[in-house]
This record gives sequence, C-alpha cells and structure tokens, in this order.
Amino acid sequence: MSDVQLYLLEVDKHKAEASKIASQSASRLETKQLKLIDLVTSLEPYINNRDDASLRAKSVAYLAEVLSHIAHKVLSLQERRLLVDFILGRLEGDHEGLGASARALISLEALGNWDTDTAQKVMRTFIDYTSPLRQFKLQTERYAVAQLIDLLLAKYRTVIRQLHDDDHEFLPAFISYFEGEKDPRNLMIIFSMLQVPMAEWDVRAHAQDLFESVFNYFPITFKPPPDDPYGISAQDLKDRLRDCIAANSDFAPYAFPQLLDKLDSTSINTKRDVLQAIQECVVGYEVQTINLYSVTLWDALKFEILNVQEEDLAQEALRALSLIAAKFAQTSEGPLNAFLRPIIKECNEHLEDAPTKQSEAASRILHAISITAPIIADTVIQGAFPLLFKMYHGTESITKRRGLLEAANQVIGAYSKLDKVEFGMNVEALAAFSETAVAAMVRALVAAPKHEVSFRLSALTGLAQLISVQKALPSSQIELAVTTVTDIIIHEHIEGHGNIRPQAIKTLVDMAHAVPQVLQERAIPAFMVELPDVPDDLSRSEHVLEAFAQLATEKQLFHTTILRLKGKLEAARRQDAPATYQRSLLLALLYGFTFGEPIPARADCYRPYAIPLVDEFVRCHLARRDPAMCEIVGRICNSILRPQGVHFQSGVYHKDLSWMSQETATQTSVENLRSITPYLLFYYAALRVEVVEAEDIVALLQKTSAAALDAGVGTNGHGMTLRLLSLLVNKFVNPKTMQVTLEAAKLDVDALLTKDCSVNAIGVGCAIVKGLLLQGKSAALTTKYLQALLDQLTAGNREVAMRFTTLLAPDDVLTKENHCLISNLYKQKVFTQAVPFITNSVRNPDAQKKSNYLVALSGILRWLPYSIMEPSLPILLPPLLQTLDLDTSADQEVKASGLTIFESMLMHDPSVVAEHTASLVTRLLNCTTAEAGNHANVRAKALQCLALIPRQLKREAVVPYRRQVVKRLLACLDDAKRIVRAEAVKCRTAWLALDEGTDDAD
Amino acid sequence: MEADKDNANPTILNPSDLPSRRRSAPTAKRVGIFEALAPANISPADPLAPPVASDSTLSDDEREEIDEQEVYDLISTISDPEHPLSLGSLGVVTLDDIAIIPPASPRSRISSVRVLITPTTSACSLTTVIGLGVKVRLLNALPPRFRVDVRIKEGTSRTADEVNKQLGDKERVAAAMENRSLVNVVNNMLATCA
Repeated sequence: MSDVQLYLLEVDKHKAEASKIASQSASRLETKQLKLIDLVTSLEPYINNRDDASLRAKSVAYLAEVLSHIAHKVLSLQERRLLVDFILGRLEGDHEGLGASARALISLEALGNWDTDTAQKVMRTFIDYTSPLRQFKLQTERYAVAQLIDLLLAKYRTVIRQLHDDDHEFLPAFISYFEGEKDPRNLMIIFSMLQVPMAEWDVRAHAQDLFESVFNYFPITFKPPPDDPYGISAQDLKDRLRDCIAANSDFAPYAFPQLLDKLDSTSINTKRDVLQAIQECVVGYEVQTINLYSVTLWDALKFEILNVQEEDLAQEALRALSLIAAKFAQTSEGPLNAFLRPIIKECNEHLEDAPTKQSEAASRILHAISITAPIIADTVIQGAFPLLFKMYHGTESITKRRGLLEAANQVIGAYSKLDKVEFGMNVEALAAFSETAVAAMVRALVAAPKHEVSFRLSALTGLAQLISVQKALPSSQIELAVTTVTDIIIHEHIEGHGNIRPQAIKTLVDMAHAVPQVLQERAIPAFMVELPDVPDDLSRSEHVLEAFAQLATEKQLFHTTILRLKGKLEAARRQDAPATYQRSLLLALLYGFTFGEPIPARADCYRPYAIPLVDEFVRCHLARRDPAMCEIVGRICNSILRPQGVHFQSGVYHKDLSWMSQETATQTSVENLRSITPYLLFYYAALRVEVVEAEDIVALLQKTSAAALDAGVGTNGHGMTLRLLSLLVNKFVNPKTMQVTLEAAKLDVDALLTKDCSVNAIGVGCAIVKGLLLQGKSAALTTKYLQALLDQLTAGNREVAMRFTTLLAPDDVLTKENHCLISNLYKQKVFTQAVPFITNSVRNPDAQKKSNYLVALSGILRWLPYSIMEPSLPILLPPLLQTLDLDTSADQEVKASGLTIFESMLMHDPSVVAEHTASLVTRLLNCTTAEAGNHANVRAKALQCLALIPRQLKREAVVPYRRQVVKRLLACLDDAKRIVRAEAVKCRTAWLALDEGTDDAD
Repeated sequence: MEADKDNANPTILNPSDLPSRRRSAPTAKRVGIFEALAPANISPADPLAPPVASDSTLSDDEREEIDEQEVYDLISTISDPEHPLSLGSLGVVTLDDIAIIPPASPRSRISSVRVLITPTTSACSLTTVIGLGVKVRLLNALPPRFRVDVRIKEGTSRTADEVNKQLGDKERVAAAMENRSLVNVVNNMLATCA
C-alpha cells in the first residue's frame, strides 16, 4: 500500500499513527527513496475523488503534514513552486481541505522565501476564491488561513501593499474577507494583522469600511469559558481592538462620534472601554486630527468628572483630558488654547459656588491638565487665578474660601510636581501670584478662627507646596511662611478640635527639605528660645522638643539639630533639671539618630555623642545612675554602633572592656549590675559576634544569671536581666561548645531546675531556652531543656505557667539587625514539641493543674502565626474553648488571646468551627458581660468574634441562635465602655441582617 | 444625565471639619512620638512584672455615658440615597441638632434622643427615607432605655409636618419596614455604617 493509503486508513482513528506515516514519507523523500512526483501521483485518486469530499480534504491534510515534516533543501525551488501552484490551483475549484492547504503553504514558505509573484498570487487566490471566510464552519480551518495571511502581511509587506496600490478593489475585498468572524482565537490574529494596512497603507478611500470592520466588535463582551485551554482573556481582545481603533487618524470621523455615543451607555464596563479607547486614540491620532475633536471630547468627558458615577471612570476621563493637553503641549499654541479656553471658563464657573461636589471636580480637572506640561500650568494659572483670588477676597465665607484655596492648591500642587521633573522650569506665571497666595494663606493661619480646621490645613498645604517650587517665592515670602508655621508649632496649644500642630510640624519638615537655610536662620533659633535649660512648664517644653526633634529627619538639618540637643542636655544636666526633662532630651537625640542619619555617616557621631553620654549617664556613681536613662543611652549607642564594621567595633569594645569588667566584676553588688543592665543589653546587641572574647561572655553570663536568680519576682529590671541572658546565649555562645559553656556558667537548665524550681529559676530557664530556640543550632539540647520546663508545669504553680509566654514573645533586641542568629523554624519547633504535650495533659481532672496547662498553651499560641496552628485546629479547639471559661481576673489576657485565635479561625477556617457553633456562641455571649469580670477588651473582642459567625458560617446553622443572640446583645448596647458598645452595634447589625430575605417575622 | 436627582450638586463639608470623638474629648492621653522609641513599660521577658496602668479607655472603673457625639457617630456614616456621600459630610445630620434628654423623673429610666434632620434642599423628596434610615439605625443601635425621636428641622423642608407625622408614628414606621423595596433602600443606606 502506498503511504497515502495507509494515512487515510489511520487518520480518523489514530492521529499519532497517521502523523508518523506522514513523517516517514517525508524522510523517504529526503533519502530519495520516494520521488515527489510519485507522491503527488499517488494522491491523485483521492484528492480528485468526486464523490467523497472528506476524502479529498484528508488527502490534502496528508500533503500538508508531509510538507510540515520535510527538512530544508530537500525540495528544489522548482518543486516548491510547482506545489504552490498545485495547491492554489485546487483551491480555485475545490474548497475541501482549506485549512490543510493553508498549512501546506505555510510549510512551503518556511522552506524558502517566495518571490513577489508567488506571494501576491497566494493572497489573491484566497481573497478571490474563498471569500468570505465565515463560510467555513471549522474554526481550525479559518485559523490556518488567518495565520497564512498574517504571515504574508508580516513578511511581504511591500509586496502585499503593492496589490492594494495597483488595484483599488483589493482592500474592500480584503476587508470583507474576514467579516463575521466570531472566534476569539481567530480574532486575535485578525486584529493584529489588520493593523498593517491600517497603519501603513493609504486607506483614506476605505477608512470607514476598515474602521467599521473592527468597531463592529466594540465593546468586547467575551467571557472566556472556565478552564479555557487557549488562555485568551477579554482584556487581550480589548487591547488589540483598541490598538486597531487608534491605528489611523483617518478613523477619527467615525471613531469619536461612535465612541462618544457609547459613552452614554448604562454599562460601567462599556464606559470604561470607551474611555480607554479614547485615550488610545488621543495618543495614536495626529495632532491636527485631535484638534478637530478636542472641544467635543471635553464636552463629553467632563460629565464623567463633574457627576462622578464611578471613581475609576472619573480618573479615566481625567487621564484622557491630560493626554489631549499633553498632545497639544508638544506643538503649536493655537490648538492648545482652543482646548484650554472652554475648560478654564467652565471650571471658573463651577468654582464660583465652591465648595460643592462640582467645584471639587473642577479643581481636579485643573490639576489633571496643569500637571501635563509647564506651558499648560502657566495658562491655567493665568486663566483661573485672577478670578479665583478675586472671589476669595470678595467673600467673607470661610467655607467658600476653603473651597477656593483647595482649588488653588491643586494647581500649585501640579507645579510642585512638575518642578521635580522639569529642570529649571520657568515659574514666572506662578511667581506673579505668589504674594497674593502667601498673604492669603498666612492670613488664614494667623487670623482665621482656630476651629476652622480644614481651612487652616489647606493653607498649610498651600504654603508647603509653594515653597517646594524652586524660585517661585522671593526670600521675604519664604521667611514669612516659615515663621508663621514655626509660630503655630511653638505657640498654639489647642487640645482636641482645632489642633493642627501635627500637620504644621509635617509642613515644616517638608519646608526644611526645600529651604534648609531659612530654617537654620529662622526656625531653629525660635525653637531654642522655647527650650529652657530648666523648664517651668514641663509638658509645654516636651511639646516643643517633640517638634524640634523631627527636624532631624531632614538630612541637611540633622547635624545642627542633634548638636543643639546635645548642648541643651548638657546644660540641663549641669543645672540639675528634672529627670523627666533630661529623659525627653535623650529621647529626642535617640529620635534623631533613629530616623535622621544615613548609616554610613554614623561612625563620626560615636566619639562626639555616644561617648560623652555614656560617661555622663552610665559610668557615674550608682546613686546617680538611672536605669531608664541607661536604656536610652544604650539605644543611642546601639543605633550608631550596630552598622559599623568589625574594625571600628573592635576599637570601641577594647576601650570599654576595662571599665565594663570592673562594673560587672563579681565583687560589685548585684544592684550595680542590675542598674547598668539596660545599657549592656543594647550595647552587646550592637556588637558583631567576632568582636567579643569568649571568656568575657562566660563571666558576664555567670554574673547575670546570679542577678536573675537572686532578684525577687517582678522587681524592676528583672526583665532586662533575662533579656540580656537570652541575647548572650543566642549571640555569643558557640553552638559547638554550648553545653560546656552553659555548665561552666552554672546555667545548665536541667541542673538548675532539679536544684531549685522557684519562679526565678523557671524564668532563667525560659530565657536560656529562648536564646537556644532562636539560634536553632543545638536541637537535642533545646529539646531536652524545653521538656524540663514542660515537666515543671505538672508540679508547679500558676506563675510557672505564665512564664511560658516569654518563650515566643517577640523581643526587639533579638533580631538579625542586631547580628543575632534567628532560625526560621523556632516557632514551629516549640509548637511541635510543646503543644501535643500540653493538649494531652490538659485532660487532667485537677482544676488548678488544668488551668495551668491552659495558661501555658495560650501563652505559646498567642505568638504563633495562624498558618502554623492551622493543621492542628481540631485538636486545639477543645482546650481553646475551655480557656474562654477561665474566670479569674488574672486570666483576662489568656481569654483575649484565645478570642484572637477564634477570630482568625472564623475568618479562615469557618468549617472547623462549625461543629462547635453551639458551645462557641454560648461562651462568646458569656464573655460579653461585664458582671462576669470580663475586661473591656475581652468583651469587645468577643463581640467581634460573635459578629463573624453569621457572616462566615452557613445560614441554616446560625439562624437558630439569632433570637437568643439579638436579645442578649441588647444588654451590650448599654455597656459601660464606648468601644464595647461600638462593637455591640456592629455585631447586632450582623445578626439582625440574618433576617433579610426571609419572611419569618421575628 | 443625572438631572433626575433633587439636588445634583450639593455642598460638601470637609471631613476634617466634622465633629469627632478625638476632638470633643481632649482629655484622652496623647501618645508622644518618643514613647514608641523606648517603650518604658513593656518588658516581654517578664510577664510577672507589676501590671502597668492600662489605657484609660479599657480600665473598667468609670462609665462612659452615651452622649451626643456617640449618637452622631452612629448616624453620620449613613449614606445619602442619591449621592455616594455620608449624611455627615452633606450636613444632613449635625452634632448641634442631636439632643439627649435625661429621664424626666428620678424613678424613670427612659431617656430620649432627639435628632433633627436638615434636607439638602427644601424640596427633597427623599427626606422621609432619610428620616426612616436614621430612625431604624438608632432603634437597632441604642439600648432600649432610649426613646428615639427623629424629626425634620423646622423651616428646612416643605413637607416637614407630613414627614414628622410619619416618623413619629410607630405603626407607620413598622409598616414601612415591611415594604421590601423600602427595606432595600434603607439597607443600602446603612451598609456604609462601620
């Protein structure tokens, strides 16, 4: 049997087998076992079979498949040309196998480029003999043809274009060829190929037909079927269609009227598509064309902004306006002015009755067009500001003035943004109004009643924006603005409504960036006057200090600010100012170092700032040492020292070693160590591991643990000592010698707990385990120690249980920034070891022991990310429900954290909660009553959880509780605390909403 | 295009001019920017440390009475049925027009809340619906010891008497809330209440 016979036998049943046969034919052609002429002859009886159309189609498919497998240079030019002629010749009389013919031609083209004649002939044959394409029902057939024509347009541009140039009947035939295509896959190709004639050919005579052929598809409403294997989205089609619409200026007379007509559609999606298409057209069409339609477009687009229907539509419309403006800004003034004139006129009209919805929209419009180019901003200012300020001065109404000022700010804001991108912008137009504007704004700040908050805030914004435009203001105006704002910060002390200090401070910091020199000369001295060495009115000075410290965040003022603060602190210290004032000054310095200084420059600050502070506050006599101050000094040192390299740190450390080892030596008192611990904590946190000597650490560990074991529970600074222990263990003890080192420092947790199971010992044990856990290196040792702690739960008292929360509590000292070792899995580790142990033991019938386990469990769970708990929820749920039953006042914390977990559960896994609905609802309701001793935050949290139930669980599961819940919540509406009442209202609304859609009157 | 609205271009108040709790209760403790830098009272390592005096709003010893501001907060976030704006920012409800009247005699527990509504135009046809929304919100959100009295501010609406009669009549309010389409409008208005 010949190959074609075999192929025809297989093709319907085994596609793959058929394909193999075709590929074998191809390789036999290559090896010359088969001659092309024989192959074609063998097709003869089938390809010309009069009676069986499908047989004809299949035999063409065979030919196409053979050609697709054939390698280069197997067929001669002559042979290829013959084949092309053969295929085209067939098509003229017989449409069967259209897709296969197209595929065969694509394969042939891939084997060697076509000459002009061939390319043109292929195109003509398809257009002349197979039009319209929609007569072919199979998408795959049409798809192959579309691909072929796309190929011709892409590779033979001039040749195909020649067809159009020579024959003006060609384009109409070409356009109508694809008419009626509906398949998205084919449309993607057709839209893309149509862009070639649209963009490159002279289509003026047929512009309308060409335009309509694509616009018929607008707006695209295609919804891809679920699991669409082709992955074509509506957005893909919209994008290509939009490119077509915007491809040629000649489309404008048809595009704009039809688009604007569709803008009146009631469908938001259609309007969105229209607005985006208009934007694309504005970008794509020529300036002269846009000029013809600019005013028409404005008249239509403005409605979307003035009567906002959907915010995103308004934004699209604004964008379209900006694009039009930008288009004109690049070229001549005439069209630009013709476009801007009606806009400014209409905006002015709307501003007349400011502040309304439409005056607000008008200022948005002015902003959107101003921001496109300096020349437009100038025109807007010249067109709008004279009238705006005339109205401003012509009214006494502060509300109106506020509305006008807001509009002015929009335009000035555009200038300010332009100024940052347009280097050396000419700001004359703005400068002409600067005096009027500054005067109005300063007057608003100084003279307006203080309760007119929005008015004064607008004035602040305006001043900051004006100053940020370089050269817009003369220096006298800048000084006036800076002084006015500084005065507000220093002298206004309004509590509650009318307090604009926070915004004023922010404005001043913004100004600092633009005009640091003026602040140096005007603002900083003014602040210093208000900061006495020894304050009479402490709270007032602290207010000023807070504002002043924020100036340090501006790079150019950083050094001046901290230098002044340091000087002030020295003076205050000398004159024995109150400790709280000294503390505030220290905090101000810390603020400066934390937010102000770029890291590389910090090294220079260590000697002049950190060392004197340490000498003054830390290395002083015990009686003069205040742990709170030590902590802040420690934090300042930490922020300067932490980013420095080993070399720098090493120098610092070796200098400090001698006095520090004295302070921490064994003969000095525990008191002494405890007072200096806050400093040590942050100092050691800053150091890199390789800087520190191992022996020093062992000594320090011994001393610190002694202090921790000795201290009474809850004494001041006990927490700091424990944190230092965790830090030292985590950072400086080598994991390889961990056990040896801990034993040497008498800190082996096992030994510690067998000797003494006091609360202090447990505290030290937890601190050690915490250091180890975070380090994540000594797994066996950590497991052993953690188990030792867990064993204490059975024997111990409540305080032991409460300690467990420290294991996972976050600590801002134990971080990677502080060069600590932080394992990613430490939370997971605690969860997998401790939680099963506790959930098993919690079934203990002894009430006291049971509550201990619950307390420990919640102490651990409250710090765990929800994702870790998620797989174990069914096991955790029963004990968590029991934590809600705990009722001593000491358990409020436990309850609150339990409620937080229920909140997450209801949000993420309502199905887990569903089977416990009854017990959960009852318990939550019990948590909402103040009589049961529940704290306000517990009551509020319980109400939040309760509110989630009707939203997250199935309606039928919840409805039975509705009556009971709604009734019990009435009492919560009268709760003593406002936040609880607010939650009660939300919760009750959620439950009342259950009624909707049903007719049962409840 | 939106000419069917009774008032297509209403005046809007700036959010920073609306009354709020933060403004009217200046006694609330201000948290300084420095406090966050060195949290003095939090020591994560020592849960047994003496408890720190917690935020005043959470300590249970004193009762915060329901006041005008609280009523304002309940109703100012209701949306206007014609604009996507809140009744507060349109000035339909204002703090000054809310009054809480304590029980008439020491033996009575019943207080009243009186809310006066100012329609955006005197011919606003949706005044009744707005009044109904406010009334429903307060009936659901206030404890039962409050009597809720919602009326139109004198001289602001041509239909004030008619509307007041409707809003004051328990039966008619209940009947209105049986009307499916009216319930939907009211629910949409209340959907923005946080």
